[in-house]
Amino acid sequence: MDPVFMFDVLVRLIPPLGLTIALSLTALLIATPIGLGLGTLRATLRDQSLAARILDLYVFVVRGTPILIQIFAVYFLLPMTGLKLPLFWMGVLALVFNSAGYQIEIARAGVNSVSRGQWEAAAAIGFNRSQSLLTFILPQAARRMAGPVMNELSQLIKASSVLSVITLYELHKASEAIISANFRFVEVLIVEGFWYFVFVYTLVMIARRIEKRFSASGGLAEQR
Amino acid sequence: MSVSLTSFLEVMPPLLKAAVVTVEISVLSLAFACVIAPPLAIARMIGPWPARFAVSVLVEAVRGVPPLVVIAFVYFALPAIGLTFNGFWTGVAALTVVGAVYAVDIVRSSIESLGRGQKEAALALGFSVWRAYLEILFPQALKRILPPLTNELANVIKASALLSVISVNEISHVGHGLIFETFIVAEVIIQMAILYLVIVGCLSALSRALERRLAH
Repeated sequence: MDPVFMFDVLVRLIPPLGLTIALSLTALLIATPIGLGLGTLRATLRDQSLAARILDLYVFVVRGTPILIQIFAVYFLLPMTGLKLPLFWMGVLALVFNSAGYQIEIARAGVNSVSRGQWEAAAAIGFNRSQSLLTFILPQAARRMAGPVMNELSQLIKASSVLSVITLYELHKASEAIISANFRFVEVLIVEGFWYFVFVYTLVMIARRIEKRFSASGGLAEQR
Repeated sequence: MSVSLTSFLEVMPPLLKAAVVTVEISVLSLAFACVIAPPLAIARMIGPWPARFAVSVLVEAVRGVPPLVVIAFVYFALPAIGLTFNGFWTGVAALTVVGAVYAVDIVRSSIESLGRGQKEAALALGFSVWRAYLEILFPQALKRILPPLTNELANVIKASALLSVISVNEISHVGHGLIFETFIVAEVIIQMAILYLVIVGCLSALSRALERRLAH
């Protein structure tokens, strides 16, 4: 192992790391409201309704197929429908498609984990369903969602590496390029892994901070 | 975009053949992972500190980076240490590493979920720490290991798609090749998705049946 070479790689991987960060954070910012929103909606729907069935099918497909296939679908199928997106947005779209599916499930499970008694208590003091959802149920569910959402965040960052197959020059693609130029795979992969590690753990630390503040204040309900 | 049944059937034989490879790789990898995970988990919990440290570093490192990085590492590392496997076994080796580190955590949290009482009782009866873990705690934890392991099987199947980057002839690699050979796009992608759904569904159902069997 050659420290000078490793430092060189460390610096050369910074721009691709920037692309990885841009892809993951953009996807996260779009996928989280969509996923958590639809998941909350799903929890309030009857299982037999059409909307619930469509959402269930979507979640089933996302969770049952590899992200690689989802990326192929966006990359190959989307242009066939006449929609031409730049590569960056194709990557973001694939990540959003994937992550939203997982987050629907997180939100649904979170809302459903709040006991029925809470709904009944809210109804008993005269709240309608949407009021009770917003003021009673969601604040309690949000705290249970925080952990899984944090986990999903690191999954999303790791999934972004698969975008290397559609020639997006992100962290993994760039590392592969360096390896094929000089075959020093140990050094390059350690540096690449280091950057992923730093990125994932920085976000996890921030998320943990937010989570802590969240539960210390007793959740959303008492912040009102 | 139109989907035709003829094209769908045309690409079916090669994809089905590839599906067999996907199943073989996933099942073999998880089986190997299950063999090496319990000793690693126990080493991480009660081994001497160098062993604890080594296992922790391995687990955190592999979990903290994308599976593609692990696959690339195994792909380059095996020949570098003189082991030349074909694509299939390189893929199995890579997925075993990925599966094993997650399985280590599954085993560890299952043993830890048993409660202190079991361990204390075993120690009070004069068992050594090692025997307490191997003969008292681990057998009890087995039941709790299976449900998350079913989940892990699904993850390994999905991760096997990534082996297409090292040209293993599983579904994704064969499908990707078919797209460029035949210019049949939609049918190939839809069929790949269906195959994965079926494989994940069947294997999950199988292992859930096994779970119920062992629960008694």
